[in-house]
Amino acid sequence: MTSAVTTDAARRPAPLTMPTGPALQRKVPLSVSRIAWYALCTLLSVTMLTPLLWMLSIALKTNGDIISLPPQFFPSTFTWRNFVDGPREVHFYRLLGNTFVIALISTFGAVASSMLAGYAIARIDFKGNRALFYLFTFSIFVPGIVTLIPIQRLFFSANAIDTWYPLILPSFFGNPLFIFLARQFFLSVPRSIDDSAMIDGAGHWRIFTRLMLPLTKPLWMTMTILAFQASWNDFLNPLVYLNSPSKYTLSLGMASFLGGLNSGASPEYNYYMASNLLFMIPPLMLFFLAQRHFMMGLGALGMTSK
Amino acid sequence: MRRNDAAAPGWLTFRARNTITAYLFALPMIAGVCIFTLYPLISSLYHSFTNWSGVGAAKWVGLQNFRYLLTDDPTFWPSLKVTVYYMALSVPAGMIAGLGLAMLLNRAFAGVRVFRTIFYLPVVLPSIAVLTLWKYIFDPSYGLANEILSDLHLPTSQWLAGKWTAMPSIVVVGLWSVGGSMIIFLAALQNVPAELYEAARVDGAGAVRLFRSITLPMMTPILLLQLVLGLSAAFQTFNQVQVLTKGGPGTSTNLYMFKIYNDAFGNYTQLGLASAEAWILLIIVLTITALTLRTSRMWVFEGNER
Repeated sequence: MTSAVTTDAARRPAPLTMPTGPALQRKVPLSVSRIAWYALCTLLSVTMLTPLLWMLSIALKTNGDIISLPPQFFPSTFTWRNFVDGPREVHFYRLLGNTFVIALISTFGAVASSMLAGYAIARIDFKGNRALFYLFTFSIFVPGIVTLIPIQRLFFSANAIDTWYPLILPSFFGNPLFIFLARQFFLSVPRSIDDSAMIDGAGHWRIFTRLMLPLTKPLWMTMTILAFQASWNDFLNPLVYLNSPSKYTLSLGMASFLGGLNSGASPEYNYYMASNLLFMIPPLMLFFLAQRHFMMGLGALGMTSK
Repeated sequence: MRRNDAAAPGWLTFRARNTITAYLFALPMIAGVCIFTLYPLISSLYHSFTNWSGVGAAKWVGLQNFRYLLTDDPTFWPSLKVTVYYMALSVPAGMIAGLGLAMLLNRAFAGVRVFRTIFYLPVVLPSIAVLTLWKYIFDPSYGLANEILSDLHLPTSQWLAGKWTAMPSIVVVGLWSVGGSMIIFLAALQNVPAELYEAARVDGAGAVRLFRSITLPMMTPILLLQLVLGLSAAFQTFNQVQVLTKGGPGTSTNLYMFKIYNDAFGNYTQLGLASAEAWILLIIVLTITALTLRTSRMWVFEGNER
């Protein structure tokens, strides 16, 4: 019984690695290199995480710790109150609310308009299909700054400066990159699905809402994440369009709070870093909840090279 | 819509109805491309030949803006030079580090997913949160960077405040987010057929040979894409400079995109000049992309699927 188990275990690794001899010889150096691999990865991970740990430490320091020289890595006492006082000082929750409203509406706009356009271009036969395809692929390559000045003038003439319209409205008119992703995805859905639905008398709107939306969940989940992130992280547009601090987004509000501090000696860095940590939490939560879709999105972006 | 389809007038052919539906679906996108890409492109091209402060009418001045930029503007050439320097530092560093990490993490060892997540984490964080954190890390007296250097008894640095160290410091901040290209390279590495490696190993190829003869050639399409995207992104880098250095010290980090922003939206608005600069940027980015794609025939491996 026991001998049968051991021979079985001994036999198992061989076909898994390689049918030829060298597999067994490599076994010993492999474990050494494996330890080296773990050591290297751990070292790199610690390096990557140190800035975040340091930020947490700053966020927990007392006002006195912040300005003491030489600086200590760890706080002398853990000042959890900074997570209450800090956000209040920065007007964090107002900024958070603003950012959420803008991000949610513009995410919906970008996903809905891009899905519709992607569906039309990928799955409807019509005159001008090619032309539309070239039209939006072309606009993927136009650098944002070239169009920013005229668009800013447009919103200026429409009296929309210092409102959220310039941050929200454009997303309802399709995002070229998303349309590209949507088209690629829709092309991979079998045609027979629409054909049989058409025979049953369904129109394109019905096929799109009833059949395609459930089928393409990975696609629009990915787009939702990308769009939300882009809006949450956007800095240039709020900087160009918003003037009153009460309308600021987190990116703009946080940056301008920091810009108002004296560099170095200001005792308010603990407040700032506590708020900065809270600023990072929504995208982090999104990442951990939807990690699969993050990777899928990157895969989809990578596919564009093929 | 369903009722619409059923009650469609008989004189409309199936194809004509399809065309109408398709254009309705794509309407937001068509309007978007017209309002937010085509019109701005034409408008900014026109205004690049004018003198325009944003108030009142633009005055046609022919090629004067371009002539001024190329010959008289004291900051045009320096800022292009600084941008090329930034590009030359950040793009290769990011690609090499990204590919290195991807190869390191392209293993089936236990815990590899944890390391991948850790390295990818900084990419998820909002750009402004990251930049403001690093600004404080680089603070000469209170920052983490000098704290670590002095703990190791190494000479400290001025980092962002030093004429020569400011740009490399900005590049270091960018490298913290190398996880983005790591994940894309990782996906590409996993698409390389394992049989290729096995066959080469049977023939006695070592690790270096495997990398040079299999990994690198198979990765060239994605390397090309990353190179093109990286170069184009480097030319449009803005947040880093706006938050970290404001173009200083002196003009050592006055990236071209930052110069355009200041001419367009800074204290002294010169929209005509800024439009000319934006069009120069467009031409440069398109030229770089075209040149990179043109030379790619010499080094990009094309699979037999094409």
